[in-house]
This record gives sequence, C-alpha cells and structure tokens, in this order.
Amino acid sequence: MPAAPPAQSSTHATRLRSLQALGIFCGFAAGAWLGGAEAPIKLVNPDISPITLSLIMVYGVFLARWSVPALIRGTSHVRNDVRQAPHLVVWAVLAGCMWAVANTLTIYAIRNVGLSIAFPLWNTNSLLGIFWGFLLFNELHYAGWKRWLGVLGGAACMFSGAALLAIASAHQAAPGKAAGGILAALGAGILWGTMYIPYRKAYLTGMNPLSFITFFTVGELATMTVLAIAYRGATPLWHELIGAKSVMFWLMLGGFVWVLGDLFQQYATKYVGISRGIPLSNTNQLWGLLWGIFVFHELRGGSHTIYVQVAGGSLLMALGALSIALSSATAREHSSWQDAADREGNRYGIEHEYVRAGMEGRAYGAATTSRSFLDWLLILVTTVMFAILAFMAKLPHMDIALGWAAALTIAMLALLATCGIALWRTTRFR
Amino acid sequence: MSPSKTDGSRNLFHVIATDLHFWIPFAVLVGGLFLLDKLR
Repeated sequence: MPAAPPAQSSTHATRLRSLQALGIFCGFAAGAWLGGAEAPIKLVNPDISPITLSLIMVYGVFLARWSVPALIRGTSHVRNDVRQAPHLVVWAVLAGCMWAVANTLTIYAIRNVGLSIAFPLWNTNSLLGIFWGFLLFNELHYAGWKRWLGVLGGAACMFSGAALLAIASAHQAAPGKAAGGILAALGAGILWGTMYIPYRKAYLTGMNPLSFITFFTVGELATMTVLAIAYRGATPLWHELIGAKSVMFWLMLGGFVWVLGDLFQQYATKYVGISRGIPLSNTNQLWGLLWGIFVFHELRGGSHTIYVQVAGGSLLMALGALSIALSSATAREHSSWQDAADREGNRYGIEHEYVRAGMEGRAYGAATTSRSFLDWLLILVTTVMFAILAFMAKLPHMDIALGWAAALTIAMLALLATCGIALWRTTRFR
Repeated sequence: MSPSKTDGSRNLFHVIATDLHFWIPFAVLVGGLFLLDKLR
C-alpha cells in the first residue's frame, strides 16, 4: 500500500490524538457515574434477596439502554449497524449475560464479606482486561517500556489504593461465609474482566456503543429473569417484587445512573482500548467513597488511622489513573490495533471502510439519524414509568447530607455535559 | 426465510463457533453460573 501524503498523515495523527484524549475523558466520566450509581442503592434496606435486587436494577438498566440511545441519536442507526455487522448481536447478548451473573455475584460478595474485601477483589477485572487486550487485540504492542510501565504501574497503584480504601471502610465478614464471599467477588472480577472481550470485539469492527448496548441489555434482562424465576420461583418472586414497590424507584434509578456511566465506559473502551479504559473507569470507587463519606456519613467518628488510609488510598488511585491517562497509544501501537481490526473484518466479512470509519468515529454511508415515532415512544414510556415509581417511592429515615448530595450531583452533571459535548463535537456519538 | 438468508445465518454461526474468542467468555459465563448456583 502506498504511504499517505504528509498532510493527510498529519491530519490522521491529529484525529487519533483527539480520539485518545476523548477516550481518556470518557474513562474519568465513567468513573463518576458508575460510582454515583451506588448512592440510590444505599437507600434500600437489605432485606430483599440479592437475585430480586439485581433483577429490579436490571429493569432500570433495560429501560435506560433503550431510551438513552433513542434520545441521543434515534434507533435507526441500530438497524444500520446490525445490517453491517450482524455477528455483533451474538457478542452483545453474550456480554449482557456475563454482566448479569457478575452483578448478582457482587451482591452475594458484599453481603458475605463486605464491600471492603469485595471491591478490590472484583477490581482485578482491570488487570484481566489488560491481559486480554494484549493477548487478543494487539493492545500495548510496540508501546515501549514507558507506556507499559505507565499502564501496569498505574493499574497496580489503583489496585493498592482500592485495597487501602476498602480496609478503611471495613465491615465484619458474616461468620462462616467468608470463603463464599471471596469466591463470589473473584468470580465477578473474572466475569467482568472477560466481558471486555466482546466489548473490544465490537468496537474494533466499527459498531457504535449506542447500538451495542441495546442488544447487550437483552442478554442482561433474559439472564436475570431466568435466574430469578429459577431460584426464587415465579409466585414468591412476584410477591417480593410487589413488596419492594416502595424501593423500586431507587434501585431502578441506580440502574439508570449506572447505564450512563457504562456508556462512557463503552466509549472509553472504543477509543483507548480495554487496557486503559477499564482501569480509568475503576476510579468509580473514589466517587463511591465521596458519596459514602460526605452524603451518608460512613466514616463519622473514625480513628486517625482510618482517615490516613482513606487519604493514602485516594491518592494512590488518583496517581494510578493519572499514570494510565498519560500513557496513551502511540501511532505504532494504533497501527497494530488496525491489524487486529482488519483480522476481525476479514473473519466476519465486514466492509473495510465501515471498520475504519467506526474506529475513527467518522460517519459511514448516508444513514439517517432523525428520531422516529418508536424513539419518542421509548422516551415517553421510560419517563412515565420512572414518574409512577417516584410517586410510589418512600425516602427511608436516614441521616443524609443533602447539601453534599447536591454538590456531587452537580459535579456529575457537569462531567456528563462536558464529556457529552466533547463526544458530540468529535464523533457525533459514533 | 429465503435460502440465501438461511445460508447467511448458518455461515455466521459457523464463523462465530470457530472463533476461539467466543469460547473464552462463554466458558467464563458457564463457570460464573456454576459458582452462583453453589453460592445461593
């Protein structure tokens, strides 16, 4: 193939740099929204079974995963993507099934060993993500030792910081259940770390994250419904759902907030790969801690040691995230991503230009992006459902610092707006 | 369904089934379900 002219090559390099910066920004925004999703769930009493709790969250996730794409670009682009790369429907459903099982395992893990031990264990997903990214998708190939050090050192730093934060917010493990809780947390980490294989597969072949999540959620909902009916039984499950109507809003809101975070995570995975995108998204633990300390007064009356652990853990996590953010892919590494994309394109018979356009966040063909009647119906149904659930919801009697809750919500909304505008300007949400 | 569509679907599933990348997450999913069943 002849070499590109210098001017064209320079434009391409500038485009890649802006996509890398965008991906890193998306990783940080993902951390904020994934961490914020824990807040509404804290308002729910722990009497509901983990399976039912996970099922209700997935209802919220399902509504968000269809209504948000309908609002942003309309669902017509989903049809265009499926026409181009139909195999990705299977990959998306598989990833959704994995997410549902991992999410349920985390609830068992938190109940048996507490968030303190569970969180760092399932955060090992980023190390697994780096491994799969390197092994299967040519990530960090030709990256040079400085970038290797930046990514691996950053991930190790974040893991140590997560462990310190977890120790600081320690809970007592339920007697006789520690082994099961640790296995559940590790299992969730392995499931989530491996779930990024389908993610990367989709984005290397040009699929839009907004299309991927609509099929992903079919896998989530189907798996959770089957698990819930099989484990709880249809009639007891129904009674439990009816009994949980006063907290359903908070759980579904948690699911909705989580989807916004996950959407940024998907864009981060698309533009900086799983080896960098996933560790950045794991800054969600810092945001979860901010909500815990300032809004729910979790460390009130804690010892000096606890505050030192929190400060040290937060600093380590921030340094790790910064190290990864500064280790963006070089042009040479990016060309090895292209090799992996070409391999996928050839295997599944996808048009070369579609793959290239998707990787570079450019338009492909003359696809319409206007919203249809179906899109407006999806948005309306979701809004009405949340309004009804909010009307039925009860705020539990808890000591909540509303001022801090408002401040953190404003910070999250500011990140949503700035990152959303950056995504729109650079890629039109492609 | 037209013959060409059937052939296309068969071909698609054949390509997925012979892709090693598919079996890694699939095996992990089965393992996760097994673990969940043991823990509940």
